[in-house]
Amino acid sequence: MGGCMDLGAVAPEMVLAGTALALVPVAGWVRGRWRRLPAAIALLALLVAMGLTAPMLTSTPREAFCGTYAVDPFRGFYQLVVEAGALVSLLSLASHFRASEQEPHHPVALLMATAGGMGLVAATDLGLIILFLQMVSFPSYLLVLLVRSDGPAQEAALKYFLYGAAALAVMAYGLTFLFGLTGSLNLRAIGAGLAGADRAWVALAFGLVVVGYGFEMALVPFHVWAPDVFQGGAAPVSGFVSVVPKVAAFAGLLRFLLEAMPSGLSAWPTVLSLVAAATMTFGNLLALRQDSLKRLLAYSSMAQAGYMLMAVAVAGQVPGALPAVGYYLLAYLLMNLAAFTVIAQVERVIGDDGFAAVRGLGRRAPWPGAALALALLSLAGVPPLAGFAGKVFLLVAAIEGGLAWLAVVAAANMAVALFYYAAVIAEMYFKEPERPEGLAPGAGYAWALGLCTAGTLGFGIAPGLARGLAQLGSTLLR
Amino acid sequence: MLTATILLPLMTGLVVLALPRDRPGLARRVALGGAVLTLAAALTLWAGLEPGGGDLQWRTTLPWIPSVGAAYDVAVGGLSLSLILLTAVLLTAVMVYALPGHDRAHAHAFLFLLLATGLIGLFAARDLLLFYLFFEVGLVPMYFIVGIWGGERRRYAALKFFLYTRAGSLAMLLGFLALYLAMEPHTFSLPAIARAKPLDGPSLAGSLAFLALLAGFGVKLPVVPLHNWLPDAHVEAPTEGSVVLAGLQLKMGGYGMLAVLLPVLPETTSRFGWLLVALALASLLYGALAALAQTDMKRLVAYTSVNHMGFVTLGVAVMAMAGGEGARQLAFNGAAAQMVSHGLLTGGMFLMVGMLQHRAGTREIGHFGGLIGAMPAFSGLLGLLAFGSLGLPGLSGFIAEFQAIGAALQLSAWVAGIAVLAVLVTTAVYLRLVTGLLMGRVPPHAPPLAPLTASEAWSAGGLAALSLGVGTLPAVLLALLDGTTAALAHLP
Repeated sequence: MGGCMDLGAVAPEMVLAGTALALVPVAGWVRGRWRRLPAAIALLALLVAMGLTAPMLTSTPREAFCGTYAVDPFRGFYQLVVEAGALVSLLSLASHFRASEQEPHHPVALLMATAGGMGLVAATDLGLIILFLQMVSFPSYLLVLLVRSDGPAQEAALKYFLYGAAALAVMAYGLTFLFGLTGSLNLRAIGAGLAGADRAWVALAFGLVVVGYGFEMALVPFHVWAPDVFQGGAAPVSGFVSVVPKVAAFAGLLRFLLEAMPSGLSAWPTVLSLVAAATMTFGNLLALRQDSLKRLLAYSSMAQAGYMLMAVAVAGQVPGALPAVGYYLLAYLLMNLAAFTVIAQVERVIGDDGFAAVRGLGRRAPWPGAALALALLSLAGVPPLAGFAGKVFLLVAAIEGGLAWLAVVAAANMAVALFYYAAVIAEMYFKEPERPEGLAPGAGYAWALGLCTAGTLGFGIAPGLARGLAQLGSTLLR
Repeated sequence: MLTATILLPLMTGLVVLALPRDRPGLARRVALGGAVLTLAAALTLWAGLEPGGGDLQWRTTLPWIPSVGAAYDVAVGGLSLSLILLTAVLLTAVMVYALPGHDRAHAHAFLFLLLATGLIGLFAARDLLLFYLFFEVGLVPMYFIVGIWGGERRRYAALKFFLYTRAGSLAMLLGFLALYLAMEPHTFSLPAIARAKPLDGPSLAGSLAFLALLAGFGVKLPVVPLHNWLPDAHVEAPTEGSVVLAGLQLKMGGYGMLAVLLPVLPETTSRFGWLLVALALASLLYGALAALAQTDMKRLVAYTSVNHMGFVTLGVAVMAMAGGEGARQLAFNGAAAQMVSHGLLTGGMFLMVGMLQHRAGTREIGHFGGLIGAMPAFSGLLGLLAFGSLGLPGLSGFIAEFQAIGAALQLSAWVAGIAVLAVLVTTAVYLRLVTGLLMGRVPPHAPPLAPLTASEAWSAGGLAALSLGVGTLPAVLLALLDGTTAALAHLP
């Protein structure tokens, strides 16, 4: 067995998980100004991990740990996106919890969840997949709870936990069928073994497995937890939960589908296209009725996941689908985290995330206001922002894959979605401020916002680079 | 040079944003400087344009998103350049008019300059994805302009404008994607698609693509029944906003029909020709009659835009359906000249209405009278612009509508007859406006109205003078359009 133990293959994960473990005692010791130390160390660890991940973008696909773990460009790209999401979230969290009791603790949970998410991107073994899904979820529950030990946060964390536990149990049950049908836990072995298996059993197993991924991605009908969790947690935590687990789950689902269910086994393209249509429509229609910005963004995130799922559904047949999803996840990360960062700054000062909290923001805080407006326009798909290029890639993939009807549904959804994004912008710019407060200051906020806005604009005006990276990242072990 | 013309307004806008907050006057002057430079750059393009040299002059092609076959591909021909010149002219006029306005001057100037970059880029784009990008960049700033500086119902009007145009443009995007995927290898290049015409013909895909593009351009132009956003947006927009909205943004739709829809889907368009004729006649009549019923000057001018743009749709329909090259040429010249002429005249009309509203606080025609004695300069300009709009020979409106109706005559005398009827109604509309404002007695209790300021006189006067210039020397504009005409007249 010793031959396949390749510790170099898990270097980035080890850096993150190791730092997280080392920070547990540190977080308990530090006092006063030293409370900011864990966040600084975590930041460093994330940068090191990114440096270790980057070379995988150009690696030749191979397996490690006796076929349970992949080293391929796919992993390189999606792990980088996960790390980038964690990095931006960490910056924003560090400002948000400055000088509070929780300041030294959040980096521990964040690093742990990030390591779990990264594992989920790379795992090619059913047992590891379940393990990493737990590992990305549990610290996320903690993050939600850690924030404020008040009613809504506790309720949100509990809801998140219970839904998560149930969803993962269902998924684990589904995985047992796959093992039973093929006698293997390895995704590629399953893919080969399922060719002759009974279709009904495969469909049942697939249906159960999708529950787990669907929970992390907040797809209809497994989305019920998302609005409460987003609203209950502090805004930067909601930002983290809206990005890191979702990116990891998308990558994990893609790997699962392409390796274990090749050539559209159990009609997953059809199933996923229906789920995509339902998710985007549901998310957008419900977002129309929200008066809390975090809830609004929760439903908007659902809609965004629906758009991306459209390209996932054709990932097996259209070569442009994988880069489209990859590009969109990156764009989604940038625009969503920008929005959550500004909301965090508003919430810190006003103590509320209703529409009134951003009224007149264009005057109260011109630059962050403009950044939030850009993020919302990008989510709505207005050029020349990253969300626009991403939507074009997704629509092209869908039409090319023969899902023209879904592209029409998506375009109609994008038109509807403009209504609620524009409503927020109207609050910010077309009404006079009722309260004079600016925004909570903080270097972390400023960096997070600056990075996200620069990315939203830069990748929007010149999508070539990001799209090229995503293209590199569409080679995976098969 | 072309790229510089596209980016000049945006760069100026960024400079304006960086200027100190407490110097609104400086911001205004810098913005005006940028507009003048843009105009100079556009004139340089004109000087270097070869008449009859086709639609791909001054071309720059750079890779943009090579993995999906989208490029930064810009070029101009006669039609493009005449609209770019119009953009630069109206931008300058607006900046002159807005010189004294100090309410959030930096943001105001930036948005108008950004919008100008969008419009110039749109008229120059030779790649469909780039076209779409500039299309939206030319729209979104207007949402903010209406919403921030607009009238009482500005939030409603801004949202309605945004939702209508966005729904249209998303349909258009789907149409573009269909064209893109029909090309092998996939490309967004407009010249390549116009050469291959992949979806043209009686197929279902072709029809759907045609309807998708028509929805996008039709909302923008607008054609009845997609015009519903227009009265609200034009009326609630601030004066400068209405000028750009009517003078330039409606042209995005007309330009799209002439430069994208017709070259890419000529046969499909001709199959839907009678639909276009019906839409054109509905717009012509509805716009004229609705204008006749208005007592609010701004609403009145807004509805005449629906009427005037009907001639553009009519021209497109004739180009698609008529057999003879002469008829096509006439139709194209009519449609294109109408866009330029309407930009100058209606832009000027909105400025005049804005001046009155600014002075008297009302836009009701009934509250005014006898202005010819009180404000002679204003009255002269208004008269000139109004007579131009109703199609008096010697002004730009005449050469446009004359050619459009002449072309329609080759299609059917009935169609031309209805168009003439609409012109008669429009004439009544403008005569009512002119007599109501200028003639008669000054109403009792009317506040004394101040004479025109320099910035008002120069902005509106410049537009009126240009309209006079186009009207008396139509050969200059027609020569400019010729290159595009020749290219389009040879459609199958």
